[in-house]
Amino acid sequence: MDAKPAAACQTGAPLTEAQTGLWYTQRIDPTNPILNTGQYLDIAGPLDIEAFRDAVDRTVREAEALALRFEDGPDGPLQVVDPARLPFLEIVDLTASPDPQAEALAAIEADTNTPLDLSRDRLAAFLLYRLSPDRHFFYERIHHLAIDGFGMVLVTNRVAEHYACLVNGTEPAASFPPLQVTLDDDRAYAASPKRETDRAFWHEEMAGLEPVTGMAPGRAISSPRFKRESLYLPAVFMERLLAFAADAKVTWPDALTALVAAYCRRFAGTDEIVIGVPHMGRLGNAAARVPCMLMNVLPLRVMPDEAQPLGDYLIDMSKRLMRARRHGRYRSEQLRRDLGLVGGQRRLYGPLVNVQPFDLPPTLPGLDVTLNILGAGAVDDITFTFRGDARTALLMEVDSNPALYSVEATKAHSERLAAFLTSSMEAAALADVPTACATDVERYLVEANRTEHEVPDTTLAALIEAKMRATPDAPALVHEDTTLSYADLDRRTAALAAELKRQGAGRDRIVAVALPRSVELVVALVASLRAGAAYLPLDLDNPPQRLARIVASAKPVCVLAEPGNEAFAGAKVLPPESWPIEPYAAELETPAPGGMAYVIYTSGSTGEPKGVVIEHRAIVNRLEWMRTHYGFTAADRFLQKTPATFDVSVWEFFLPLITGATLVVVPPGAHRDPTAIAALVRRHEITTLHFVPSMLSAFLASPASQGLSVARTFCSGEELTAEHRDRFHDRIEGELHNLYGPTEAAVDVSYWPAGPDDDSAPVPIGFPVWNTRLYVLDELLRPLPPGVAGHLYLAGVQLARCYLGRPDLTEERFVPDPFRPGERMYKTGDLARLREDGAVVYLGRSDHQVKIRGLRIELGEVEAAIAGSALVSDAAVIVREDRPGDKRIVAYVVPTDAYEPERLRSHMAARLADYMVPSAVVEMNTMPVSANGKLDRKTLPAPSFEAPAARAPATPTEAALCRLVAEVLGLEALPDPDADFFNLGGDSLLAVHLLLRVQEHFGFDPGLGVLFEHPTIATLAASIDADRVHDSGLEPVIRLRAGGDEKPPLFIVHPAGGLAWGYRTLARSLAAGRAVYGLQSPAIDPDTPLPDSLDTLAADYAGRIADLCPEGPYHLAGWSVGGIIAHAMAVHLQARGKKVGVVAMLDSYPAECWRAEPEPDETAALRALLAIAGHDPNAHPELTTREAIVAFLRAGDSSLGNLPGAALDGVVRVVLDTNRLVRNHYHSHYEGTVTHIRAGLDHKDRPELVPDLWLAHAAGLDRIEVPFLHPQLTTPAASALIAPELDRWLAQYD
Amino acid sequence: MAITLESMRADIAEMIHEDPDGIGIEDNLMDLGIDSMRLLNLILKWQEDGLDLDFAELADRFTLAGWWEAIETKQAGAGSRA
Repeated sequence: MDAKPAAACQTGAPLTEAQTGLWYTQRIDPTNPILNTGQYLDIAGPLDIEAFRDAVDRTVREAEALALRFEDGPDGPLQVVDPARLPFLEIVDLTASPDPQAEALAAIEADTNTPLDLSRDRLAAFLLYRLSPDRHFFYERIHHLAIDGFGMVLVTNRVAEHYACLVNGTEPAASFPPLQVTLDDDRAYAASPKRETDRAFWHEEMAGLEPVTGMAPGRAISSPRFKRESLYLPAVFMERLLAFAADAKVTWPDALTALVAAYCRRFAGTDEIVIGVPHMGRLGNAAARVPCMLMNVLPLRVMPDEAQPLGDYLIDMSKRLMRARRHGRYRSEQLRRDLGLVGGQRRLYGPLVNVQPFDLPPTLPGLDVTLNILGAGAVDDITFTFRGDARTALLMEVDSNPALYSVEATKAHSERLAAFLTSSMEAAALADVPTACATDVERYLVEANRTEHEVPDTTLAALIEAKMRATPDAPALVHEDTTLSYADLDRRTAALAAELKRQGAGRDRIVAVALPRSVELVVALVASLRAGAAYLPLDLDNPPQRLARIVASAKPVCVLAEPGNEAFAGAKVLPPESWPIEPYAAELETPAPGGMAYVIYTSGSTGEPKGVVIEHRAIVNRLEWMRTHYGFTAADRFLQKTPATFDVSVWEFFLPLITGATLVVVPPGAHRDPTAIAALVRRHEITTLHFVPSMLSAFLASPASQGLSVARTFCSGEELTAEHRDRFHDRIEGELHNLYGPTEAAVDVSYWPAGPDDDSAPVPIGFPVWNTRLYVLDELLRPLPPGVAGHLYLAGVQLARCYLGRPDLTEERFVPDPFRPGERMYKTGDLARLREDGAVVYLGRSDHQVKIRGLRIELGEVEAAIAGSALVSDAAVIVREDRPGDKRIVAYVVPTDAYEPERLRSHMAARLADYMVPSAVVEMNTMPVSANGKLDRKTLPAPSFEAPAARAPATPTEAALCRLVAEVLGLEALPDPDADFFNLGGDSLLAVHLLLRVQEHFGFDPGLGVLFEHPTIATLAASIDADRVHDSGLEPVIRLRAGGDEKPPLFIVHPAGGLAWGYRTLARSLAAGRAVYGLQSPAIDPDTPLPDSLDTLAADYAGRIADLCPEGPYHLAGWSVGGIIAHAMAVHLQARGKKVGVVAMLDSYPAECWRAEPEPDETAALRALLAIAGHDPNAHPELTTREAIVAFLRAGDSSLGNLPGAALDGVVRVVLDTNRLVRNHYHSHYEGTVTHIRAGLDHKDRPELVPDLWLAHAAGLDRIEVPFLHPQLTTPAASALIAPELDRWLAQYD
Repeated sequence: MAITLESMRADIAEMIHEDPDGIGIEDNLMDLGIDSMRLLNLILKWQEDGLDLDFAELADRFTLAGWWEAIETKQAGAGSRA
């Protein structure tokens, strides 16, 4: 070829469009190695090593992209082909290794997982591992910026070609075209009308796009690693695929893509899914044969009509793929920017479906070669890859982002997808193809429901009578001042039962009970059962007409009620005054296990109440399961507070009575009063109680519940949230259990232990109880795998017999169980999904599905985010549709004193996807609760939506950021603080500019990733404010160690120098999970005046930490004068009504010890600086002047010595002022315990300095001594001793 | 069996369910629906017809004229070397 002027890529060329997106991805997360693409060939046979080396090195010289270097230029990144970086072959001889294969694979893995520094490292590496004379691994690793999958094939095949030529003595074909061809082509395309056409095509194609989801909820941001599950599809599959595709007249890759998309769509839970289809982008392109990065990802919208003939679906998809490829050069990164889908949660596509028919091992003469692909770029969500020609081999790889998919889920997708594809290829339509595979069915339908358990075939009445006979003297019932023994209960219920029998009670007859909570109520229920009849509880708060309708339809033999109630005018009423007390001799009829036990009316969707009929066998199963499962004994004491009309009351009433335990009946009205409940629990030593979650929430918000101890608390009736669970364990000692079940299945059918270690969110309803089955089914009653929302059906012994007198309704809801011929299942109308562990998660009602803009939303997640803010004491989130078609999420909150609407907003924005943030927050005094204690959603008021006008910046940071954004984007007016940087026209490059300006203005770099996570100005400002605290090192509050929210932080106050840096070692030595902050003197800033007094300083610090953490307890510590300040802060915090935890002093002594001492000279004070900087003052007796000390510090490399001049002056000023502050300080009394850590080797000359001096200023004192001198207390050695002690004290408050 | 321009045109037409007359000599084949998989299938077919063609050799000139030029060169080369 002729000599040409140096191409731009030899001197520095801008990146192509294809490279730019990858460059920013790597720049956002420089330590992420996921863009290292790599593979290795496993070569068996006698390899000619020298020929191979020659073949690789020749290829390396030909493929210019392998020698690229990237550098920052004035207008963005540049690439240069750098001959110094040619990645020639390295040969590693492992023949002497005990396990050469393992060693080679370990080295390959380590290299693949090492992030590259784009400006420093070689982008490519080629290594030949010699395992034995007849076995070699050829490893190729190239950063994605330099190569794509097809480029890798070109390089590898070229190596093979050179090798063959060298071995056979033939000439290779022409070399690769130069890299500059692709750069020129890219430039030409950018300016071409074709690009405009492509752009228009994609804009039309993506019009009206709803927010895109993947197959699992969560943020799709690539992790550093991915999980892979590989499966070679068998020959029979490949044959079928080729025939199937040929029949449908589509190519087999398009057929596979279409079927995989249909599979993915089922998991997304939306009608439409957008998949990403990698596109080689080379056909018809001058760059087709250049090894480089050209690959694009095309978004493909897929909304299959599952009922249409499969062939039509395939043709349709094939046409759409063809069209998309025609416009496939338009970069998807550009399309994302065009559509405003950059940053945050917004994306262009979910799962990737990647068919690579070219990924075949190359041919090396005389050798057997297999190909192993290691990584091919980022895995944001999940990637389904098919490699091979479908004739000789087809490998399916499922690569998933571990942040979204577990190893098990990935494995399951692999197996299930293979089954889905296999069945699809035999199906007439997609609708015929089940989602679950055989393994799913076995694991989740059969195995998880294997709940068969022996239960006595008896009745509730018989079980209660057995206990009456066994423990006649034990207390059965306590109500206010009355206690009934089992013998008393036996006598009174036998007497009433005989009377009821006289009235006609008996098998399958009904006795209505309309009594307030009382001894008589319990007697009435037990007597009805003993008479062989079913009881029907009636709510006296119901309107009389409703009660009359129920009585008319149920036709009870009599009503046990106070006289004079007009509702019962047509029935025989037996008032308690008329009940006999002593039994007749007459024998009672024992009811049969198949007889009716109770009838509970529930509201019907049509408005007409319907009576659910439960038989003895069903409720006996439920109660026996509960008694055994939780290990109840006669020593247990149950609180009965649920109204009898709500079926939870059934176990409250009867579980104690079949256990021989005690039932404590709450007085009428008290069941909704948290204070009364807490008092009853304490007074009666209750071991077991029940709450509806919204009532639990109110109970937990009441001061009366703090520190309560109850063995077991059960929740059911509505969704128990993760937030409820966590608050419960913060306040109450004992187990928490979540139960689920409709009235139609004998109270509860599933259980979940929501213990303190449970971190499930949402909290599942769990696993089936004995002899019970839970099914999650699709519309066609086929079982669903985990992760897919479906309809919850129940089956087993606990199902109700029927709706009383309503065979039509019974038939509609109790349908044949397709998995157990001859049995029934109950359609709950609830939506649910399975977790991988088989636990069921409740998702809401099928008739009130929560979907906004087509997206599945777990409102519990929004609620948990609000609750986590500590700004509200209770929260509920609902979806409202106050104007037809206009669904909005609305949050209802009960504010605490710390509540500020703006803070809650930014708190939510920081934690939730943008589409999940409520569009309105309504402040409530209390949450409305319905008669049975559930949150009354119907009475929640509609919010008033105001037009979202641009607001003024709320904080100085917001104001500054608005100015910077306007400047960077060239806006004429200041933007709305809630505007999104990318929607305002920002892109990745402008983002970098913005961050440079942020760095100049705020003095630190929050990192590009922060902007992508927080694309609105307000959220970015909040994030800057949150981070800035720990960055400059001179702020009044610095974060010494990050920690979680669950443990209250520790604040350590600076010693004399005003800086808290010295505490870093101590902070890091503490147990993980607790944040540690250092408090530093504001007077280090020379513009800030010195404080008036130590007390003013302490008050200021107390205010700062209360702002930082609105909730206590506050843990304080300090060394030397820091301990004195900590003590004064504790006093101030107490005065503000805040709870103080640990107050730890590292060898501090009260101010009065210092007042009598001669005033230290300036030199002594300045020499303290040496210790602060980490030097031993005694080793430098020559440093006696301010100038000498400052010069010494400046010359050293301590962080103090590197302070800006003004700041070092500030430190000197603070040091010199310390003495004045201490001498003028007079301690107030602290009503709490201080913890003193004494420097045991010090104070030989002042033995009067003892910890007990603090007893004059504090209510209590803990002390330890460590064998160090005073100046050594923050050294690593001392910290190692002090930290575990501090941890122990701190833990007492967790 | 030698490949001719007309046999190529017919093979391509069959691949995209088109009439051979509908394929112009300078038409962009990608716009007509030839993708990498279809190209691969054509190459496989032509390999069966005795022509040793490489995917990359056809990928960068995506018109019938471009392909014919590549194939003519190849066939001439193969002849001279034989």
